[in-house]
Amino acid sequence: MIRKIAASALVMALALPGISQAARVKIGFVNSITGPEAPIGENLTNGVTLALEDLKKKGIEVDLIKEDDTGKPEKSLAAFEKLATRDNVAGVVGPYTSACSSAVASQADKYKVPLLIPAAAKEEITRKGYKYVFRLNAPADVYSSVLMDAVQTIDKPKTIAFIYESTDFGTSTVKTAKEYAKKLGIQEVADEKYQKGAPDFRSTLTKIKSKNPDLVFMVSYVVDAITLMRQSKEIGLSPKAFLGGGAGFTTAQFLAQKEISNMVMSSTQWTDDVSWPGAADFAKRYTAKFKKEPTYHAACAYEAMVIMAETASKNGGDRDKTRNGLKAGHWNGVMGEVKFADYAGFTNQNNHQMLVQQVQNGKYETVFPPKFATKKALYPFKWK
Amino acid sequence: MKSIHPLTSIRGASAVQIMFGIVIIAALFAFPQFVESPYALHMMILFFLSTLMGSSWNIIGGYTGQYSVGHAAYFGTGAYTTMILLTTKEIPPWQGMWIGMFAAVIVALIVGSICFRLRGPYFVLASIAVAEIVRITALNLTDLTKGAEGILVTDIPPFKIGELLITDFASKVPYYYIALVLALAIILVTWLVQHSKLGYYFQAIREDQDAAHSLGINLTIWKNTPLVISAVFTSLAGSFYAIFIKFIDPTTVLPLDLSVQIVLISIIGGIGTIWGPVVGSLVLVPLSEALRSNVIAQWLINSGMVDAESGTGVFLKEHLAHAHVLIYGILVVVVILFMPEGVMGYVKKLAAKKKGGEA
Amino acid sequence: MTFSVLLQSIISGMLVGGVYALIGIGLTIIFGVMRVINFAHGDIMMVGMYLTFFLFTLLGIDPFVSVLITMPLMFLFGALMQKVFINRVLSALPQNQILLTIGLGLIMSNSAMLAFTSDYKILTTSYSSSSYSLGGISISQPLLISFLITCAITVGLYWFLMRTDTGQAIRATAQDREAAQLMGINVKWMSILSFGIGSAMAGTAGALIAPTYYIFPQVGSAFTLKAFVITVLGGMGSIIGATLGGIIIGLVESVSAVTISSEWKDVVVFAIFLLVLLIKPSGLMGKSRL
Repeated sequence: MIRKIAASALVMALALPGISQAARVKIGFVNSITGPEAPIGENLTNGVTLALEDLKKKGIEVDLIKEDDTGKPEKSLAAFEKLATRDNVAGVVGPYTSACSSAVASQADKYKVPLLIPAAAKEEITRKGYKYVFRLNAPADVYSSVLMDAVQTIDKPKTIAFIYESTDFGTSTVKTAKEYAKKLGIQEVADEKYQKGAPDFRSTLTKIKSKNPDLVFMVSYVVDAITLMRQSKEIGLSPKAFLGGGAGFTTAQFLAQKEISNMVMSSTQWTDDVSWPGAADFAKRYTAKFKKEPTYHAACAYEAMVIMAETASKNGGDRDKTRNGLKAGHWNGVMGEVKFADYAGFTNQNNHQMLVQQVQNGKYETVFPPKFATKKALYPFKWK
Repeated sequence: MKSIHPLTSIRGASAVQIMFGIVIIAALFAFPQFVESPYALHMMILFFLSTLMGSSWNIIGGYTGQYSVGHAAYFGTGAYTTMILLTTKEIPPWQGMWIGMFAAVIVALIVGSICFRLRGPYFVLASIAVAEIVRITALNLTDLTKGAEGILVTDIPPFKIGELLITDFASKVPYYYIALVLALAIILVTWLVQHSKLGYYFQAIREDQDAAHSLGINLTIWKNTPLVISAVFTSLAGSFYAIFIKFIDPTTVLPLDLSVQIVLISIIGGIGTIWGPVVGSLVLVPLSEALRSNVIAQWLINSGMVDAESGTGVFLKEHLAHAHVLIYGILVVVVILFMPEGVMGYVKKLAAKKKGGEA
Repeated sequence: MTFSVLLQSIISGMLVGGVYALIGIGLTIIFGVMRVINFAHGDIMMVGMYLTFFLFTLLGIDPFVSVLITMPLMFLFGALMQKVFINRVLSALPQNQILLTIGLGLIMSNSAMLAFTSDYKILTTSYSSSSYSLGGISISQPLLISFLITCAITVGLYWFLMRTDTGQAIRATAQDREAAQLMGINVKWMSILSFGIGSAMAGTAGALIAPTYYIFPQVGSAFTLKAFVITVLGGMGSIIGATLGGIIIGLVESVSAVTISSEWKDVVVFAIFLLVLLIKPSGLMGKSRL
């Protein structure tokens, strides 16, 4: 009994300062909680969960309304409409996938609800001039350019081979990669698109091996990346560098495969050792809470939720003011400097600095750009 | 006890039943005048769309007994034709959809020429294979379809007849009426099929192909006809989906999942009946939305049955949303095991039992 | 394209095909005896994969050794599934059978998601990316082992069906259910047995592919589709046919990826599938039922 009273007193003591300055704000969050995109969606959910805790500490109480879109555009649309018209949220964070974001973006303008997209890469989304649509992460074209820039500082490679999954992310990243390679005078020697989840890449990789490329550029989700690298090792494909376009090459699971992940370079939106304020701390707390390391998706979702909730609560939950707040605002958090700007055909797009990380001695090290690098890139590639 | 023939029961619909039908249709047409919530309209539109897809499948699968699990091919053909014509040739959707229907007819005839040589499980597998080929082709013909990137449009051109502006598609209301009309149209077509010689041929093929053949029913013609009808309406559903969502890609309009879902609508409602797909949609659309948006957990908590902070409450809030496809699966198993003729068949059986009991 | 590229693709195609064959054999037995198209086949395989994964991570049992545990467990799992669910629809309409298995598949994959989250699980053994080199051609060590295990299982199963009384009873049931019943064979028991065997094969295939692949709740669907193609290609109900079918599909995928392109290889597979259906619907080995 006494313990119970003591406990409730403790709860009250902790809660009171929160209540005194509480600014409650209602935010929607659309994510792929179930369905084929769920494995990555989970990272976003975790990032948002951590964001809510931190916001609470800052005195911002968020009424979060979580909506699952199962990765399907029509469900995403239904979820967004529910948030906009029935739940009267101040703003929405999400959706995760590019397909869902494409469908939802036009509705954000229609209902005049600020929408902050945390991690969808399709360029077109912020190229349509939508007033209420903001995007935190860098779009698909930067995934390839930052990698090639990193290699250019070390060497002048002559040939490049592409192997990538036949998804929106895979094809649009490689499309821009090809254009960029052409500009740099790197000759394309192979272009291999595959169905996500294929168990055997050996013949395709052998074909690439016979072309003897300097660079092998891969775009794959979580586990195809591991399969690709395992089988590359098996057949003895050994270019000067393996370049991974984000996603699968930036996960803890990939890192754990020490035999095959060493020296692979990949572009990423975020790393846990980057010098952005709070990044390392975020990674530490995330790992402690969810028993796994955060991906860049988690960091993107975290920062997106913090930005949206802070802006909305500052503006008393008013949608138009929140929208203006997002447009005018400037942040510096776990994702580095954030500003939603209009440039190169984009509207309300954060010109995010992407990073290049490389696996060195079983750790991800940031190797590019020099400003944020913790280690020098190892080059050329050698199998362990 | 007199066995009730579906033909006589509908033909012999009483004045009360006809009045009832008219009232419902009138109410559906008046609905947007009273309900402004875009969310409610969105749900109604999804319901009409589901009815349209389910009823279209019902004509070939339910009435003719050819269980196609590849209807995504027609849905995707409609969606892609409309969107490609809109984005590259600036042909508005209400013209594009006719071309989409035409394209779907061609696809259907190709599918028919391959698959109708096969029966039973082989037909099912062949229909899946063809749909998968269509999906992969759409994925790889990037010049035409933009491949995996999908096609995104921002604006649908306003619908004008001459100078008269019918609608500019700014709100959900025009979509609501289009979907409603399409759903009513397919119900009417199903009714016509059931009450014409066509329906007689179709059902004869369903019951026994060889017997039908020996009765002089030309199998090639009378299997392809329902397939073409079915494909045309499924392609309309696809065209409608495309302009409604304004974004399509192979994984949303051409996957095997979609084909399976189309079949589920009829089976759960009751195949080979006019109202089966409607009932199926009435069950599936609200259920999947309720599970997706977690209103069931919310309702249990709000009603005070479960404490939000208690272990159960937290569990429900966190996990019920994750479990929605699981519940969907359980529902399918329950329906198949306990209501093998769908909800419609089950209700009819119950009614018959009650009558029998009273007598 | 050089000769060595082609040779490499032929060899890896055959090895992968071996695992495909095992999935196909499971499906073909189930279809042969019950005439039920099992849409949950890939999901049963998924259960086998998780089983292997946990035996490895929790108890440290090597995936190839754990086959000895996985196989009987999956047999029981399949037998139970048949007894409780499939048995009730054996005389129902084919579309209801299909839907029941689809529903069961959804239940399995989504229960797995609730239990183990949708995270990808990767089973890393010391030999996951090891290979033997043979004159410039590399042969994956884990794939070679699983190929040999597949061969052993296929031979064993064939012997069981041909030489034992139970095996003959199963074959009799596959040939003519009613006649078998009249001969005094317990048909229900044979159905349970064969669903069990089919599931054991799918589970074993899961175990064998686990060290080179990855595991997640929805992993099954892609393999279900492949299993259908293999089974039809070989002739529904024929074990030798399924073995051949598996290897052929493995080869076609692999060779068409280098000669045509990796993006069109699945179209090639489906086109061959349709051609077989049209020209020889009974499949390559259609006559010999089991």
